[in-house]
Amino acid sequence: MPKRRDIVAIVLIVLPWTLLITVWHQSAITPLLATRKDDRRDGRSKSRNTFAFKESCSLQNRDIVEVVRTEYVYSRPPPWSDTLPTIHVVTPTYSRPVQKAELTRLANTLLHVPNLHWILVEDSQRRSTLVSRLLQETAVNYTHLNVETPRNYKVRGDTRDPRIPRGTIQRNLALRWLRESYRVNSSQPGIVYFADDDNTYSLELFEEMRSTKKVSVWPVAFVGGLRYESPKVNTLGKVYGWKTVFDPHRPFAIDMAGFAVNLRLILSKPQAYFKLRGVKGGYQESSLLKELVTLSDLEPKAANCTKVLVWHTRTEKPVLVNEGKKGFTDSNVEI
Amino acid sequence: MATRMKLKLKTVFVLYFMVSLLGLVYALMQLGQRCDCSEHDLPKDRTISRLRGELHRLQEQMRKSDATKQPQKQPAKPTVFVITPTYARLVQKAELTRLSQTFLHVPQLHWIVVEDSPHKTPLVTDLLVKSGLTYTHLHMLTAKDRKLQEGDPSWLKPRGVEQRNEGLRWLREDRRAQPGGDNQQGVVYFADDDNTYSLQIFEEMRSTQRVSVWPVGLVGGMKYERPVVEGGKVVRFHTGWRPSRPFPMDMAGFAVSLKLVLANPEACFDGEAPMGFLESSFLQGLVTMDELEPKADNCSKVLVWHTRTEKPKMKREEALQAQGLGSDRAVEV
Repeated sequence: MPKRRDIVAIVLIVLPWTLLITVWHQSAITPLLATRKDDRRDGRSKSRNTFAFKESCSLQNRDIVEVVRTEYVYSRPPPWSDTLPTIHVVTPTYSRPVQKAELTRLANTLLHVPNLHWILVEDSQRRSTLVSRLLQETAVNYTHLNVETPRNYKVRGDTRDPRIPRGTIQRNLALRWLRESYRVNSSQPGIVYFADDDNTYSLELFEEMRSTKKVSVWPVAFVGGLRYESPKVNTLGKVYGWKTVFDPHRPFAIDMAGFAVNLRLILSKPQAYFKLRGVKGGYQESSLLKELVTLSDLEPKAANCTKVLVWHTRTEKPVLVNEGKKGFTDSNVEI
Repeated sequence: MATRMKLKLKTVFVLYFMVSLLGLVYALMQLGQRCDCSEHDLPKDRTISRLRGELHRLQEQMRKSDATKQPQKQPAKPTVFVITPTYARLVQKAELTRLSQTFLHVPQLHWIVVEDSPHKTPLVTDLLVKSGLTYTHLHMLTAKDRKLQEGDPSWLKPRGVEQRNEGLRWLREDRRAQPGGDNQQGVVYFADDDNTYSLQIFEEMRSTQRVSVWPVGLVGGMKYERPVVEGGKVVRFHTGWRPSRPFPMDMAGFAVSLKLVLANPEACFDGEAPMGFLESSFLQGLVTMDELEPKADNCSKVLVWHTRTEKPKMKREEALQAQGLGSDRAVEV
């Protein structure tokens, strides 16, 4: 019957096409389903105690005193993620009585930040055991470098001479190390942040800087003799000036802790370093930033520079009067 | 008409069939070979596959950690109750932030923050809520005549006395209501908000039976102060300042077991005590020197430092405020 034949014909025409289409469809999907088994940095993470995250609130009737219980999930350090950009934190440090304390509490902060790489540069002739041991014990992901500032650049005595920039040579060494260790065309995204060892950083800050495309900026507390210094941001979300009293006409009137640079920018401009000689007080940051970016390229973070997420705290020099000339305490005990 | 159609249909059909057969064969051959992925390498697809892999890994990790959680849950660690007096000043938020970052690493820690204020301030309230810690927020105002005034040297009047006592009072009240009564496991530690604590010190103090002691760095005008241990017992204290005190050590250098605190409900800090005797005023009623438990490797390691934070220079801010151009008060620092 012509009807049946037609049907048979149509079926026989359609069948190979459907087969073809399904085969093509399948072959396009298989590369996507392949998951990468990349277990990087698994050996480093020493997970101590882990608790499930749950929140429960119990109210005491008297005195409206609340006992808030939150069980926090943590492992030291957080597991490495393949998608988050790495934050390279450059910290210059030098030996003084509070050094171990400062590095300890900074490490305690940094241990909460995922995908963090701590580049600690000592101002010393060789790497000290104090710092080496501290870094090994904290299990943070680190690189330990050292370079000694030549005597004529060092701060003379106790006076704060702003013409001699402290930590410059160390930060430049870190920049050089980064340029030697990472290639421009490598796909590893990274952010570079200069963190001094006596400042205080909130964890929110590190998440704000992770999305830096070129250079991002935010307010810093307790600098320039003010409660905080911050960039001026217009309604379009662009930086157009600096809200500061101390020399607001600097190209970049910002503190070292107030900006972060995308690693790719650092690598693509290999001549950009902190200027060592002839830098006026407060112009250190500008000496690097003016080689990297213009004012209009700056990305304001921290809710358009309205929140303070980093504090330029300074630790008092401890009074060691009772040590006397010969040293009262056992010098073998490390502090 | 039918035959012509049939003929036409036949050729069309044959044509179709040949083309599709060839296509099928080609596709099957392609399947066996390696796909040239660079063509399909849309960045979105890559990210999706990486995220999937990561999710898989994290789920594995969580499953692994859940498995180890069960046996650990049984012998619960004694809770460390940390009493921190705090007061409003410029660096308060910074100090409490970095302190909370340290405490967040310590399991079974209960932070008791006592503000020197007539009421709970929003700054501290928000900070505690965001910290992710188990905490209790209290407040107790220091009487005016006991309070340090501007320009007073820091050693003139004892600080934090009323706040620590309030912390103790709350702790006693709260714990009395808990099951176990006076036999509860726990350790009480007085941590000032500007000191620096290593994570080891909290593990050292957890095993305190009565009162444990250890060295403190950068205090007493020396690199560190410490108890001198001989034969596993504290025999004297190595300090450069008034070593004749009953307990010549800093607030950060000792911890008291919860049991002892509950068993001595009258023990508290005496605000009238002479300078440097604050710690002794509390410990005298609780323990004798030979009962002290030395920690930190027989008191040979420094695991806590008495750091102090500089007061930030506000010259320009004050000048601006005089002109009415001070920084935005709405921005919390």
